Amino acid sequence: MTLASIASKDLAATSRSRGLWALATVLALLFAAIAYGFSGYALTAAETVRELFKTLGMVLAFLLPIVALVATYMAIAGERESGGVKFLLGFPNTRRDVFLGKLASRFLVVAVGLAFVFLAATTVAATKHGVVLAGLVSGLFGLSVMYAGAFVSIAISLSATFATRSRAVTAAIGSYFLLVLLYVVPGVRITAIVRWLHTQLLGFDPNVDLYNAITFTSPYVAYRKATNLLLPPERQTTVLRRYGDAAGDLPAYLKDEVGLVVLAAWIVVPLALGYWRFVRADLQ
Amino acid sequence: MAAIEIEGLRKEFGADTVAVDDVDLTVEEGEVFGFLGPNGAGKSTTINLLLDFIRPTDGRIEVFGTDVQANPLAVRERVGVLPEGYGFDPLLGREYLEWAIETKDADDDPDELLDLVGLADDADRYATEYSKGMQQRLAFAMALVDDPDLLVLDEPSTGLDPNGMTTMREVVRERAANGTTVFFSSHILSEVQSVCDRVGVMNDGRLVAVDTIESLQANLGGHASITLECSVLPDDHALGTVDGVVDVAVEDDTVEVTCTSPGVKEEVVTHLASRTSIDDIRSEGASLQSLFGELTDGGRDEDATTNESAAGSTEAEVSR
Repeated sequence: MTLASIASKDLAATSRSRGLWALATVLALLFAAIAYGFSGYALTAAETVRELFKTLGMVLAFLLPIVALVATYMAIAGERESGGVKFLLGFPNTRRDVFLGKLASRFLVVAVGLAFVFLAATTVAATKHGVVLAGLVSGLFGLSVMYAGAFVSIAISLSATFATRSRAVTAAIGSYFLLVLLYVVPGVRITAIVRWLHTQLLGFDPNVDLYNAITFTSPYVAYRKATNLLLPPERQTTVLRRYGDAAGDLPAYLKDEVGLVVLAAWIVVPLALGYWRFVRADLQ
Repeated sequence: MAAIEIEGLRKEFGADTVAVDDVDLTVEEGEVFGFLGPNGAGKSTTINLLLDFIRPTDGRIEVFGTDVQANPLAVRERVGVLPEGYGFDPLLGREYLEWAIETKDADDDPDELLDLVGLADDADRYATEYSKGMQQRLAFAMALVDDPDLLVLDEPSTGLDPNGMTTMREVVRERAANGTTVFFSSHILSEVQSVCDRVGVMNDGRLVAVDTIESLQANLGGHASITLECSVLPDDHALGTVDGVVDVAVEDDTVEVTCTSPGVKEEVVTHLASRTSIDDIRSEGASLQSLFGELTDGGRDEDATTNESAAGSTEAEVSR
């Protein structure tokens, strides 16, 4: 099982990265602080804790991709740049072992960090409010692991595609911009951009469902929508909405459940592309 | 069965860089093969192709009868590699060896191997903190794990001090004596001369010669040199006028004359004996340096200076 040998070697080296430990500690402290300071107006203890985890979900939605990208972007590109890949492949390991071993190791690192952060928030909330919402916490944790998995998958594939640190950094930052920021910052929101292209440049009539569908391809939007599955209807966030002539219920392909499919696609498709590139690459 | 069989190997990078150009080479089992050439000749590219780190544009490589592209795993199980341009992660020297042993499913003792390369006292330090020479020794120890049937060493003496080089040569000889095939690349002639059965010389992507060092010398002639010690060397010795003399280097009353062929030496001695009394004569065969220069068009003019600056050292680097 040489995949395990690659993964364990990578885990040993990664676990000695002071930067990652510092990042995990800062995040755990941040989450503990949010959990401690959070209070709702005229809410029961259970409702307060539920609102708290909903807020944590919103924070994770834009922080978790950064953590996953930072923890992963150098996994393979770093080995290519330093030449460490020559040790990995000079021994009886295949490129598949290297790719999957690195993926497993970095995914585990991010998942353990995430568990650490959830533990901190849950402990503080339980101490302060005396409530543990096991279903919500484990559901949000599972969903967050999936969301992190999507970005680990994206980062490992970018890392396998680019041979140097500088290009891997650029690709990681670019992917955060394209997949997260473009869906958050009002002025440059993808929905508005697509709408402008569609109606002004191409001269079509507005099609809100189309703009929503395109917006839904982001793992960020998918995660936000999938989080709704864990909340009662009156507490859900409206991420995509119909407006104008197209007011009313969203079509089936824009429902919250589809968020899980989108996240799964963001795990599988980048991995397939990255693997395809890596097994064909010249590694020197 | 051949240890390494390369046929019609070609590797292009981009549209107009041909790093390896139609190379055919067979290395027999049990052989110690020196892969020579100046930097940038295509040696490392060939080795990277041999290990399936990169893929050929054309051609085929088999190691012990296994196509390296079709089954790199089978090849890597039988090969020990000391790569060129590697990097270490923050793992201890001992952890690296343990990893190598585990990955090869071997039963070597990590301490024994560390001791062999002189790293016993530094086993519990991070490999990232090692000096270049220590890293090279650690990489060499990793290559020796599981007593591979083929040792591939890419520029093994990089960063090593003379002691480290001697140790490495001894280990290579010992392993070779036990039947291990050794393929190692170098741009340092003396290293290859003392351990190799045969050498191949790469230049500009092409394999320009494959032979034993002795028959290369015999076939190519190369330059012969003769050193004459005189009681008093006259200023008007006019050795440069002798037919076949290429270079005359005078130091006090000693003169070193480089000739196009060994036969010219007699003429040189006769010429000088008629002008002064000769105390001593030292004669050497074609120097490997000039041989190498001839094969790789490595600037014959620089040979004299290179030889002089390297005097007293065992190592004569090819200047380009």
